[in-house]
Amino acid sequence: MDRIDSAKAAAIGLGAVALAGCERFITTALPENFEPGSAPEESRFLARAGFGARPGEAEALKVQGQQAWIDSQLKGDAEEPNTLQSRLFKLDVLRLDTSDLFDLPEGEVMRQLQTAAILRAVYSPNQLRERMVDFWVNHFNIYAPKEDGTFFLARDQETVVRKHALGSFPEMVKASAHSPAMLRYLDNAGNKKGQPNENYARELMELHTLGVDGGYTQKDVQEVARCLTGWTVENRFMRPRGKFRFDSNLHDTGEKHVLGHVIPANGGEQDGERVLEIVAMHPSTARHLARKLCRYFGLTETASRIENLTRTYLDNQGQIAPVVRLVVEDAEFTAPESRVVKRPFDLIVSAIRQFGGDTDGRKPLIQHLDAMRQPLLNWPMPDGFPVDTEAWETTLLARWNFALALSEDRIGGTSIPKRELEKKGKDQVATLAAKLALNRTEEQGFSFTKNIALCVASPDFQWR
Amino acid sequence: MTNDWTYCDGNGKLTGRISRRNFLAGTSATLLAAALGSSALAQVLVSEQPKTQNTLVVIFLRGGADGLNWVVPYFESGYYAARPSLSIPAPNSAGGDKARAFDLDGKFGLHPSFGALRDRIGEGEVAFVHACGSGDRTRSHFEAMSLMERGLFREESGNWQGWLGAYLKAVPRSDAAVRAVAIGSLMPDSLTGSSALALSSLQDLHIDSQDTDQISALRKSYADARGDRMGDAGSRLFQALDRLKDLNAKTYRPGGNAKYPVSDLGEGLRQVAMLIKARVGLEVACLDRGSWDTHVSQGSTTGWFADNVQDVADSLEAFRRDLGSGMENVTVVVQTEFGRRVQENVVLGTDHGRGSVMMVMGGGVRGGMVHGAWPGLGKEDLDEVGDLRVVNDYRNVLGEILTKRFGLRHANQVFHDLDYRTLEVLA
Repeated sequence: MDRIDSAKAAAIGLGAVALAGCERFITTALPENFEPGSAPEESRFLARAGFGARPGEAEALKVQGQQAWIDSQLKGDAEEPNTLQSRLFKLDVLRLDTSDLFDLPEGEVMRQLQTAAILRAVYSPNQLRERMVDFWVNHFNIYAPKEDGTFFLARDQETVVRKHALGSFPEMVKASAHSPAMLRYLDNAGNKKGQPNENYARELMELHTLGVDGGYTQKDVQEVARCLTGWTVENRFMRPRGKFRFDSNLHDTGEKHVLGHVIPANGGEQDGERVLEIVAMHPSTARHLARKLCRYFGLTETASRIENLTRTYLDNQGQIAPVVRLVVEDAEFTAPESRVVKRPFDLIVSAIRQFGGDTDGRKPLIQHLDAMRQPLLNWPMPDGFPVDTEAWETTLLARWNFALALSEDRIGGTSIPKRELEKKGKDQVATLAAKLALNRTEEQGFSFTKNIALCVASPDFQWR
Repeated sequence: MTNDWTYCDGNGKLTGRISRRNFLAGTSATLLAAALGSSALAQVLVSEQPKTQNTLVVIFLRGGADGLNWVVPYFESGYYAARPSLSIPAPNSAGGDKARAFDLDGKFGLHPSFGALRDRIGEGEVAFVHACGSGDRTRSHFEAMSLMERGLFREESGNWQGWLGAYLKAVPRSDAAVRAVAIGSLMPDSLTGSSALALSSLQDLHIDSQDTDQISALRKSYADARGDRMGDAGSRLFQALDRLKDLNAKTYRPGGNAKYPVSDLGEGLRQVAMLIKARVGLEVACLDRGSWDTHVSQGSTTGWFADNVQDVADSLEAFRRDLGSGMENVTVVVQTEFGRRVQENVVLGTDHGRGSVMMVMGGGVRGGMVHGAWPGLGKEDLDEVGDLRVVNDYRNVLGEILTKRFGLRHANQVFHDLDYRTLEVLA
């Protein structure tokens, strides 16, 4: 990965030293007028457009207005707080080149990648961007254990998904196609003249761009595979591992026909580039993304909505922000019935955020994700973790046990500021617990800790 | 909590379900017996789940089990020629039952340490497929297991979903509290892509709270949310936990005076039996039994391999007794990643080979015989380095089980490139 420039690193490094030995501290002071539950629509909006409201954020949104929030969030460039920067800085995976990461144990690299994902979702002020990162990480899913993917993933995440999450989809597809992690995961690294491997070519069209009913044929898959012969990963002696490499010796130089376009002979690396342009701006791709966004955000896939999103994508040369804007501005977006089940990642992040919690995102928390069957970056199929309810409804026991562990301070490195919350918002949390968990409004007389557990474990809290 | 699993003595077939409420409301035992049919009361269930759930129990013998000393081709002179020290004597040999195979079909016999299942085999409840396996030629444990758990015959790109994960996805159901489990701390690759639970023991299936008021409040919140998908799922889970609690792992008394051996497999199967009886909707249970990599001092009718075989037989016989007629709804399949070299080696073991045995036991099995083709053990019959050839694709066995017993429409939904042919292991 590209190193963070040294001046910035030094500055952050100083911060990290200052914070050493002070892992657990409250990052967001609770607001004085903490009234959870007083802005239900804004709460829902933030649980969907981001990972849930920290104490006071829903109320603040009510004052600020959703429009202003959306405008600034679509830029996605709010400065990350020191808490986040200093914690991320400690992660080797964000500082070292891929070839250097091979010196670390794979398990450690994996845990750091998972920690980074948790920290960013919990602490980043760019909540919409993080929400879209979650969408794209699964859209361009890579199974870390295959082909040493773990070591290649850090760079993949930075250069593909994080870089383009609210930017240009054609650029993101291009970055993904050049990503060593993807080239290895879907076997294009071994795709060569005379021995084509169609795996990546197929998933590029079926999952990443056109969609399974997007109008391509088996012949197109074969032709795209031919175009991408020679797109591989550096593995020559004494060269740094983990860089993209076009090997012209392995490239099929003949003429190809892809989706009605002629790709002339002897185009070399340009064959692949041309294919990526064709598929990224194909109307089927626009429609496929429109449908997928609707499913991810719980919007009904009506013909007019899909048409509108599709047209917006095409009119804006595949820019993602205008499409996402339509989605989050949709009247249906905050409707109670537009709900989607929280994946375990959503659950832990939203629980920590909702109660103003603090986390180092390390193993004790990660283990809860594993128990809830969402081991991040370990979904084997290229389609990413599912969004449908059926896939997650058998994970409730682990969700309940997470809620209990969180409320009782049994997750090392993760805590919620109960004393402060209790001082400022005890009645409100009790009311909220009663509403969420008990489906009635009277106070149950439970301890504060128990109410927090009941909130997080409640049926309602399993939905965003 | 209501105890809605009442276990009664006897071996009667379960032909109906009667609610405990009716039972308590004064239905006499005689009437109840009449309602159940001629036999004595077997089990009295309160059912909130309308249909009987079939359960698939997959036991993976890790390390490459020697199929030739397990299901012995005693009619092949090549077998005895290749294994002067390790072979299992034919059923008609001198020396008593413990020193020779017991006969299956006049050609194959079973290792004497498999004797606990002798009656079940005789009654046709257990079937075998020999010369079975995948196309793996690396003879690497890791490669061969990985192929089988992903439902592949040979290595191909792309497919990292487990075959059981693919099945669970292809036949969706949403009325189970615990649809699939792996007993043991590790999730086998076969379940990859599913939301199966990995349980080191049933003790893991509990809510981490001693506070009954809090648990009641949680229960109520889910009961109040009935109709909501998560509300329903939570209510099902509470029912399942109640039933499991009633069965209590510590005081659990298996049916049929079954005695599980003190082994990981025995303990694992005991837990699977409890889950089945708790009616949590269990559809798939995976267990591992290791220690089959018998390169050195494998033993013959006694020793290392014999002890392994005995553990499998004893555990499964206990499981069978425990479940009684409930076994009708269970299919057990035993598989291994590859078999072992026909020729014994100089340190009285066997090296990695190819074809081995699959065993299928349970409801609807056409048992008491060896199904599928047999390639022979003559020199020209063997694989390149002297291994039993694989002439029966293991996926045909799994495909038959999934399609005939588990509602899969076509085997190719799980095994994409399989040219499916049923071996008629099941009726």
